[in-house]
Amino acid sequence: MISEQGVKDLLNTSGYIADDAIATAVFLAIHMEKPILIEGPPGVGKTGLAKALSSALDFPLVRLQCYEGIDEGKALYDWEYGKQLLYTQLLRTQLDTYLSVSADLREAVERLSSEESLFFSKNFLVQRPILRSFLSEKRSLLLIDEIDRSDDEFEALLLECLSDFQVSIPELGVIEAKRKPLTILTSNGTRMISDALRRRCLYLYIGYPELEREVAIVRVKFPEICDDLARRMVEFLRKARELNLRKPPSVSETLDWAQVLSILKATKLTPEVVANTVGVIAKHQTDLQKVTELAVQELS
Amino acid sequence: MERIIAGFVAALRESGIRVSPGESLDAVQALGLCGMEGRKSSRQLLRLTLVKNVNDIPVFNEVFNRYFSRYKFFDPDVSIPELMDAAIIDMKGEFNYLDQLPGDDHDENGPLIKLDSEINPEDLAELKSLTEIDPDDTDGVEIVVQMKGYRGKANKAPRPTRRYTQNPLTIELNKGNSTQMGITFTEEEQIAMQDVVSRMMMRLRKDMKRMKNDQNRGKLHVIKTIQKNYRHDMVPFQVALRRKRREKPRLVVLCDVSFSVSHASRFMLLLLHTLHNQMLDVRSFIYNREIAEITEMLANMPVNDLMETIDKGDIVDLDENSSFGQVFLAFKKRYLENLRGRPAFIILGDGRNNYDEANDWVLDEIREKARYMLWLTPEERDTWSRGDCLMELYGAYCDKVEVVKTVEDLSLVVEDLLRDIYADHADPVDKKRLREAKAEQTYDSKDYYTRGASGGGEPAFDPSGRSHW
Repeated sequence: MISEQGVKDLLNTSGYIADDAIATAVFLAIHMEKPILIEGPPGVGKTGLAKALSSALDFPLVRLQCYEGIDEGKALYDWEYGKQLLYTQLLRTQLDTYLSVSADLREAVERLSSEESLFFSKNFLVQRPILRSFLSEKRSLLLIDEIDRSDDEFEALLLECLSDFQVSIPELGVIEAKRKPLTILTSNGTRMISDALRRRCLYLYIGYPELEREVAIVRVKFPEICDDLARRMVEFLRKARELNLRKPPSVSETLDWAQVLSILKATKLTPEVVANTVGVIAKHQTDLQKVTELAVQELS
Repeated sequence: MERIIAGFVAALRESGIRVSPGESLDAVQALGLCGMEGRKSSRQLLRLTLVKNVNDIPVFNEVFNRYFSRYKFFDPDVSIPELMDAAIIDMKGEFNYLDQLPGDDHDENGPLIKLDSEINPEDLAELKSLTEIDPDDTDGVEIVVQMKGYRGKANKAPRPTRRYTQNPLTIELNKGNSTQMGITFTEEEQIAMQDVVSRMMMRLRKDMKRMKNDQNRGKLHVIKTIQKNYRHDMVPFQVALRRKRREKPRLVVLCDVSFSVSHASRFMLLLLHTLHNQMLDVRSFIYNREIAEITEMLANMPVNDLMETIDKGDIVDLDENSSFGQVFLAFKKRYLENLRGRPAFIILGDGRNNYDEANDWVLDEIREKARYMLWLTPEERDTWSRGDCLMELYGAYCDKVEVVKTVEDLSLVVEDLLRDIYADHADPVDKKRLREAKAEQTYDSKDYYTRGASGGGEPAFDPSGRSHW
């Protein structure tokens, strides 16, 4: 049994610096077998957490990217019609002999329908991500990414899967998960997720990290960046986040920037350096201007 | 343990956080798994399991701090009289609650709990650890909310109770007659407005989606049809149709920002701003004597900042008398030419022209360009021809004139309009269905929604032939 600190250390080794809340949530999700719903601004490491966990715990990652119009055929299962057709074609001669025994049409139909289950068996089932993660021999990590992009109907569809870890297929009955996957749902909050779904999950809000944690993240990912520069970068970005930008720089921007700076072999933050690399931090024209101004104000 | 959690859950519910029994069971299970190692970790555990919404987190923290600083534990062998004494001393603290300002960090003693004698000492230590306030127990990233009101039982969290009620919105739109400067929304108004808007969006979205699905059908999509019917051995049981590309309905809004209607126009801007991007293409203008476009600003600035800028008179001069004639003329000169795709027009204003030239012929030209024209006024119909009010004159050019008095009125009017715009594209069956639904709706809602100018039953908008007002 893995402890909270253990979770934290594990994540650390795979390059994800977790805070207490994240570690606790993961710990609970593993032991209570409940999904975690993660909300937060884009780029703070929601999907990153899932990826890090999958590599740290050695759970295969099954990812379901949600989009408008996603349905059960794309998320749970589908029937492989082509294969079914092909099989009936190939088995035609066998079928003929099998059915030729029957005296009349009625009997033939009865005989055939008694074998119906053959054509709606697991052989012909295409496993989509959720079913695949349920049927995986090894405990897997199911990532349902950006659930807020899907429709209400899809959310309702998830309810059964997430609370009981089972999928009902009319032709086959209820299929239960062999190993309940560690499930992570992420949302950017573009749409309100229904209470019914929230109720089935642990709720974790990941915001922008504290200074120390963000510095640690930069240091872990880019060890070549010295502590002093990392700290200055993060401090600058934290100020930029308060500027009311259209797209405030997130942790992913911090990392991009760190990468750019390490490629440029920059050792100090000057307004010129910021001006040259501002495109990594700010993603709108109005934002560019604000960030450059901030750099002149703060760094010169 | 369970009892304490149950009590805490009850306290949360009292503060307006909805916690289901299932969630409180989760909380107990989680505590059982992790143990109570300290105040901070217990709070995290409880928060993970009990709170399911970002907005609820500050309230949760407040309740947690209040609830778990109120218990005081005694060993089972403390005699009852001693407990009573302690209780009486504490009672004084209880009365003091009401004098204390929120935010100060006095730790009052809470009600006393006499523990069951069979409780095991380890559990007791755990429980005690919950009530100790750790000096460096901060979460860093959390936002501190300032609470209003008193601590203790009478405490009300800063959450609108109207979340559960239906129609208590009484924000008067035309009370901005006072000449005070700087009307921004109070927090409460903003919450109320967001509430109205989100409810409206919910209603709209469902209908729109269905209609969109029904009406977006075009020609046969051959490849998709083949793909779809592969399972049927290419017998086309199911037909796939191409989607029609359709643009978002366009809307042009002219908002009077002079003091007489300022409240209404501000809400209007907020409302349309919310709808923008989601289902509409809105261009917003504000005017007093001059006119200016604020579409970009609405998209980029926080609403309150924008309102302040408007109030300062930076965009259009507010000190002058409003003149509709001038505004229409300026609008025609500067913007009318480059309006695309027959937008629907909403003009918000009281029609008081300060005895300036009426220039009502411009409205005729605007109408040529417009799919539909709606005038919203906060004034009752019987004052329309009094004084400098040109409502009777201007109204004749519009498809419809509505009297709006409250936020709710306004949102209903806009909702109606949106439905109409969408219905304009709907196929006949849908149109009929919509019209029926609407007739029913107006019937139902007569008590809180009085239409000013148009008769109740008639369809508000007939795209084929403009119904002259």
